[in-house]
Amino acid sequence: MTGAASEPDLAAAARAAITIGRPADELRTLWLDPKTQSRIWTHFAEVTARDTRSADWVARGPAGGEYRWCTDTVESGLDQIRWTSRDGADVPNTGDLAFRLAPGDRGTELHLAVRFDPPGGVVGEAVSKLFHIVPGEIVRTALYKFRALALTGEIPTTDPQPAARHGGIDR
Amino acid sequence: MRALCWNGVNDLRVETVADPEILNPQDVILKVRLTTTCGSDLHLIDGLIPTMREGDVLGHEFMGEVVDVGREVTKVKRGDRVVVPSFIACGRCWYCQHDLYSLCDTSHPKPELQEPLLGYPTAGIYAYSHAFGGYAGSHAQYVRVPFADTDCFVIPDGLADEDALFISDAAPTGFMGADFCNIQRGDVIAVWGCGGVGLMAQQGAMILGAERVIAIDQYPERLAKAAAFGAIPLDFTKVDVIDALKELTGGRGPDACIDAVGMEAAGTGLQGAYDRVKQALYMETDRGTALRQAMLAVRKGGTLSILGVYGLIDKFPLGLLMNKGVTVRTAQQHGQAYVPRLLEHALRGELTPAALATHRFSLEDSPTGYHMFKHKEDGCLRAVFMP
Repeated sequence: MTGAASEPDLAAAARAAITIGRPADELRTLWLDPKTQSRIWTHFAEVTARDTRSADWVARGPAGGEYRWCTDTVESGLDQIRWTSRDGADVPNTGDLAFRLAPGDRGTELHLAVRFDPPGGVVGEAVSKLFHIVPGEIVRTALYKFRALALTGEIPTTDPQPAARHGGIDR
Repeated sequence: MRALCWNGVNDLRVETVADPEILNPQDVILKVRLTTTCGSDLHLIDGLIPTMREGDVLGHEFMGEVVDVGREVTKVKRGDRVVVPSFIACGRCWYCQHDLYSLCDTSHPKPELQEPLLGYPTAGIYAYSHAFGGYAGSHAQYVRVPFADTDCFVIPDGLADEDALFISDAAPTGFMGADFCNIQRGDVIAVWGCGGVGLMAQQGAMILGAERVIAIDQYPERLAKAAAFGAIPLDFTKVDVIDALKELTGGRGPDACIDAVGMEAAGTGLQGAYDRVKQALYMETDRGTALRQAMLAVRKGGTLSILGVYGLIDKFPLGLLMNKGVTVRTAQQHGQAYVPRLLEHALRGELTPAALATHRFSLEDSPTGYHMFKHKEDGCLRAVFMP
């Protein structure tokens, strides 16, 4: 997916794939819309656009931990979008989204890979401790939200009205 | 508003909770006119389904009046009397486009909770644990309905509330089970279970042209209801079901068998005792007597249509299905695919869902209603609540 020598190593990235019954160009436009980015990562971080190519991220961890970085879109071709964090990021990271034609009437496959490189840590475990969410779930949930937004114009929610009192606890 | 809340195993209380509000632009708010008990609620109440939370508002089978409308809703308006299928469907994903509404790709707000259990998330459902979406249920004065243009069906004038109520779940679930049987001229259909879904499966099979429908249960009042619908009743405590079915089909066996019982099937003999002990010890969640019997009874090359709700089951004789070349069809209800035609069948009197309503309660008395429903007291088939 990212074979060129100058591209980041995504071997240790968290990956997820999803198929959405819409054409790739439409999905690409929606993904690059800053409003979309602020809505699909809410399970993990607040994303605020600086302009059409840059965004500020604030991820909150357990016990009040707060981690900040700014990303720039470094490639936005027809089949691929890549972004990477600027120097000075609390948790350096890089992301890659590839669009592929799905078979039959199924639309477009989205393949998302995000690599976090916390300072001095083993990638997966350290990210889980920092953010209280495993990297695989970060990317899968973002894709689920993106698919709902692309197909229906909204993201399903029960917040702030879950079935249970105050959000409740599983029994 | 007032609502019936789950507070733990067998602990139901009517409480004051916050009114629902429009959260997404395709939502509506319904004032609930009627809402009913479902056998699958008993799995939640008994603690057999994980991820219930204290305070969960129960109820997924309901009809009501639209009282508030999101800004992108175009097909329903304030004052409309509507029925809503229990599974929430967007109408636009690949699954909805292929009439597989309970598998909707976009209506589950917490897919990360369900994916580890099933591999992929299903549609969200009202009041069916947080792994199934955590949507608040309908045993309340008001309920929020997402994707109203796809999920709200206006009830035609001339159809009573009680008929429309069961077109939310029991009728489409049962009818879908009959539809799965691909009924051909001369086919005999056997249905295990004469609860709401089983009775609707029986009427569905008749509408779809079954030559004969055989209804299997143990409760005389339920078997009498099946007989009144035109089915041949079989009491499994009084006859050997397999022998009786062979006798009734000239030794061929039913062309299709529908399981409308599920995980709390009552059983007789050693297998029934084995299942009851394992379920009590949480070693399996399900007692599969009805399902195993249906697998044995169905003719060679026939169809097994599974509507009963199952979790984990052991001693599942898979080889029996393979060696007999049985086709298995199963799903949670794809209600949105069936509701329009079911409203028509009900208007013409071919489907009589209101016959399921045996007991009526105010919302304040709904815990009593569930007690009667669970223990089948006074012949209770379905308890209907009027919030």
